[in-house]
Amino acid sequence: MRPLDLTEKNPSKKVTIYFDGKPYEAYEGEKFPVAMLANGLYWLTTSTEGRRRGAFTFGPVPVKVNGVKNINGRKLVVKDSMRVERQRYDEFQEQIEIDEGKPILRYVVDVAVIGAGPAGLGAVEEIGGKLTVALIEERSWLGGDMWLKGVEQEGFGNPREAIEKLTNFPKNVRVFLKTTTLGVFDKGEYFLVPAVRNDQLIEFMAKRVVLATGAVDSIMLFENNDWPGVFRRSDALEVINVWNVAPGKRVAVTGAFPEEITPELDRWGIEYVVVPNPRRVEGEDRIERLIDENGNVYEVDAVIMADGRIPDINPITQAGGKVYFKRGYYRPVLDANHRIRDGIFVAGSAVSIKPHYANYLEGKLVGAYILREFGLEAEPCIYEEKLRDYEPVARPISKLPLDGFSSEDVQICGCGVTLKKVDDVVKSGITDLQIIKRLTHLAMGFCQGRFCLFNGALLVSQRSGTPMDRLDIPVARPPIKNVKMKVVAGRD
Amino acid sequence: MPTKKLPERSEITVIGGGIVGVTIAHELAKRGEEVTVIEKRFIGSGSTFRCGTGIRQQFNDEANVQTMKRSVELWKRYSEEYDFPFEQTGYLFLLYDDDEVKAFKRNIAIQNRFGIPTRLITPEEAKEIVPLLDISEVVAASWNPTDGKASPFHSTAKFALHAEEFGAKLVEYTEVKDFIVENGEIKGLKTSRGTIKTGIVINATNAWTKLINAMAGIRTKIPIEPYKHQAVITQPIKQGSVKPMVISFRYGHAYLTQTAHGGIIGGVGYEEGPTYDLTPTYEFMREVSYYFTRIIPALRELLILRTWAGYYAKTPDSNPVIGKIEELSDYYIAAGFSGHGFMMALAVAEMVADLVTKGRTDLPAWWYDPYRFERGELRGRALQMG
Repeated sequence: MRPLDLTEKNPSKKVTIYFDGKPYEAYEGEKFPVAMLANGLYWLTTSTEGRRRGAFTFGPVPVKVNGVKNINGRKLVVKDSMRVERQRYDEFQEQIEIDEGKPILRYVVDVAVIGAGPAGLGAVEEIGGKLTVALIEERSWLGGDMWLKGVEQEGFGNPREAIEKLTNFPKNVRVFLKTTTLGVFDKGEYFLVPAVRNDQLIEFMAKRVVLATGAVDSIMLFENNDWPGVFRRSDALEVINVWNVAPGKRVAVTGAFPEEITPELDRWGIEYVVVPNPRRVEGEDRIERLIDENGNVYEVDAVIMADGRIPDINPITQAGGKVYFKRGYYRPVLDANHRIRDGIFVAGSAVSIKPHYANYLEGKLVGAYILREFGLEAEPCIYEEKLRDYEPVARPISKLPLDGFSSEDVQICGCGVTLKKVDDVVKSGITDLQIIKRLTHLAMGFCQGRFCLFNGALLVSQRSGTPMDRLDIPVARPPIKNVKMKVVAGRD
Repeated sequence: MPTKKLPERSEITVIGGGIVGVTIAHELAKRGEEVTVIEKRFIGSGSTFRCGTGIRQQFNDEANVQTMKRSVELWKRYSEEYDFPFEQTGYLFLLYDDDEVKAFKRNIAIQNRFGIPTRLITPEEAKEIVPLLDISEVVAASWNPTDGKASPFHSTAKFALHAEEFGAKLVEYTEVKDFIVENGEIKGLKTSRGTIKTGIVINATNAWTKLINAMAGIRTKIPIEPYKHQAVITQPIKQGSVKPMVISFRYGHAYLTQTAHGGIIGGVGYEEGPTYDLTPTYEFMREVSYYFTRIIPALRELLILRTWAGYYAKTPDSNPVIGKIEELSDYYIAAGFSGHGFMMALAVAEMVADLVTKGRTDLPAWWYDPYRFERGELRGRALQMG
């Protein structure tokens, strides 16, 4: 077994890959960053500013694969004898092969459900069989965040068994995995939902859209928070429960919600320490120690951020929705039928943070609203009633120890924006988030603010005294996820 | 989030806090005038922060060439004085046939007459300037190394800062609702945050000009309409990959260049309107990708980070409207820039400040005469792309 393997892997899939010229044991079909992690290697790419980066925190992971630069290392799948090399963010392939491109696929459906977590699956269960559905999921699995869990979930019991039951789809449900939605566009007669799967453009034309697009893990601010070996909670869960690889030999769990990961670490017997208030991580090409605000030093090789989740508001604002601030996060403004506007519904943790089962019920609820709009029989009141039992999670608004940090070492955004850069602008007297964004490039890079805008808002609010709900929050523009120009450049 | 208090009175009030309004206020304040800018949202939020960053002198008529020559001088001076990014990395017009070459030879002759060093170069020379270009269909290029680009964010913010240092007041998140006029004289403006007493008003609202003109009761025909134009930006790549602004009329009236941050920014001639809608469209993303990848094939493998929309506030001849409107005392317009507001702003600020303080200017303001539409004396269409 490789140093961080939790289980024996299928020996018939065993292959050798090369990273910066050195051979490593890997398994066919494994994600490249997971294969490297299993071998104890965290540093995969380098930011334009020269910062070492891994694949489990923020920022893109461009790597050179078989001589071709600027390949997304995060999604790269292991193949025998593959040769991967590190590169800097700004390196790109100058000489390219021009291929024909793939033809555009088009599907006309009654409902496009974006996101196959418990909410999306709930919506599909409610409407499947009665209306035609396209279920579009970016990741390679169904069940969203719940699929990553090993421990029992309230209302569902065993998470994987529950998901398997929910994914016995009727014939009129088409499932699109590894398919990234670019946005929702109003065409009057229908909504156009363009998406990309394996560099092929797919256009969904749907009468109704369900945004079951979920939440993102909060990025914590501390010195070297982008270091290889810092994990977002969801990435740690994925490496453990999907790939059966440990994040490290001894890990630190940080943030306000450690219980969102510690039961999973217990289950696998991974050694951990809970450190609520990290100040700095240190190390060379991987984490060697974590220092907290009280100066305590913890010898760890991985740090997991478990500071709660916040709704991903980008799909909401791109589709024309407004947001407001409640319970410690921005969330969509919905009408009585859970719509941001006519035809576009939102369900699950895109609405508010709550248990998986509540998200599933909310999916069922919007499914019922949709059935009713199509003139079919439905009883949304059942789900409305059941949902009353679930109070959404309140996320404490953390007070950033702004003056306690060496703020040039704290990355507010994976695109080379330090806390210092933003804080200096705020301290110069500019307290409009819209202007700060443009002067610092915060929320203008690869994630379009998905992981950094909230912390920017927090910083401005804390420094200026303006409450979070009074800030002018920038909206997301299409594409809501990065897409290669060649994918949309084709003409038919 | 309202910021500063609306002053009770101000000698001069500029409506609109884009680069044009801000630099006009900067110039007036620098000359010792009492001036206030009223901006509906935040500084630059209308069209300035949505612009394509380009600054060129390669126009097709004498007036615009002169105006832009002065503007570039000022861009250079202020970028050094106030420390914001402005680079003279040139404009490279790719030409694909004899007709295009002929038209550009004529433009070059005009530009040369005013001392602008534009010249016709070979496709191979163009490729030396931008090695990533596909020149297989290019027959020549029009090249002026003294054109350039600037950061709309940093430049506008710096002009706002220095305008305030000279005593100008910039009031954001405040919307002008009505004019207070007595016997043909402006007495004040009603806003969403109270009334301001003022005698001189400058309408620098570009896309919203007709609304402000209507509030002022202007009857003179000043046809300025907002059109939606979109732009794209890719992931940042190695600095210096696309130094100049590259233009291709053949491929979609496209313009593209690299920003100081490293991304490839630009747009194509995909216009919708008149409209105030600014929703970015899927069709634009397709069009811009189709054309850009034909001009620079390596862009195929770059990630699109986002697209957005802004206005070209267009007049029928694509030339702005700059000057005094006589039916109201004292009312000026500097608007209708048809996509050229950012690049022209610094010369326009000087022009307008001259008109307000001296009643005359050495810059060719006559070309932008607000009464030309009423008189049916349209100018030749200003060279426009995107």
